Amino acid sequence: MILAALLGMSLYWHLPILIVLISLVYSGTRYDAWPAILAEAFRWGLRMAGFLLVIVLALFVLSRMI
Amino acid sequence: MSSEASPMDSSPQGTSSQHYSIMAGVLSYLVPGLGQIVQGRVGKGLLFMVCLLGMFTCGQALGGWQNVYLPDVARGVDQHWENNPWRLPRPFLPLANLYHRWHFAGQFWIGIAAWPAIWQYNKLPVPTEEASPFWHNFERGPHSEAALNEYLINSDKTPDVAWVYTVIAGVLNILVIYDAYAGPAFGAAAPPVVPRPEPQPAGGAP
Repeated sequence: MILAALLGMSLYWHLPILIVLISLVYSGTRYDAWPAILAEAFRWGLRMAGFLLVIVLALFVLSRMI
Repeated sequence: MSSEASPMDSSPQGTSSQHYSIMAGVLSYLVPGLGQIVQGRVGKGLLFMVCLLGMFTCGQALGGWQNVYLPDVARGVDQHWENNPWRLPRPFLPLANLYHRWHFAGQFWIGIAAWPAIWQYNKLPVPTEEASPFWHNFERGPHSEAALNEYLINSDKTPDVAWVYTVIAGVLNILVIYDAYAGPAFGAAAPPVVPRPEPQPAGGAP
């Protein structure tokens, strides 16, 4: 139900786009070789997604407690 | 470009030949990635160009082409420092106006793509609204605060996401500018490596 609501809100579809673009550009400024750029972009994408997921979970738990 | 996956700063022998290129930095400011392309790092340059200009343009389009501008609301001493919280004199009024639209401090770094806002701020000639409404209003401040508020109230959250796109694109280009300025670390486009002389033993060779 919650997932369906999230998927229905198109605003959140900007998030993966932004994560991919920011990861790629940032990693491009750190490395010169494509394999290294892509590997670093993947790592940064995971870090950002994980960070946001923790915030989502914290807000979800808070919303259930209140 | 070398196929080795080495960090840019992991090669100690590269430090002695490091040279900086102001021209490449300026080119990457003007058009994201252009400095890298001139240095021979075409793939990276195109990556920066497509990603950053794409983000900036998409952000503008999502925001109804109304979110990149520098307002002209700050006044000098002759108008009692109206909207000028730092009481900056006339030559520095753009800085006072940034106080009212701090987004532009990030958007500015995208380069030429943000210059129409400076053009509009200085009230330089633009096509008439009848001839071309789009270019007449392109990166121009809102006609009135009421009109801007009405647009934001009647929209969903998309305008908020839109300016985030444009600001992130501009701020990321600061990293791209530095990457072009610092130059390639290795590969065909890198400067030749000058080996450091080996230190001689204190007592000299036997």
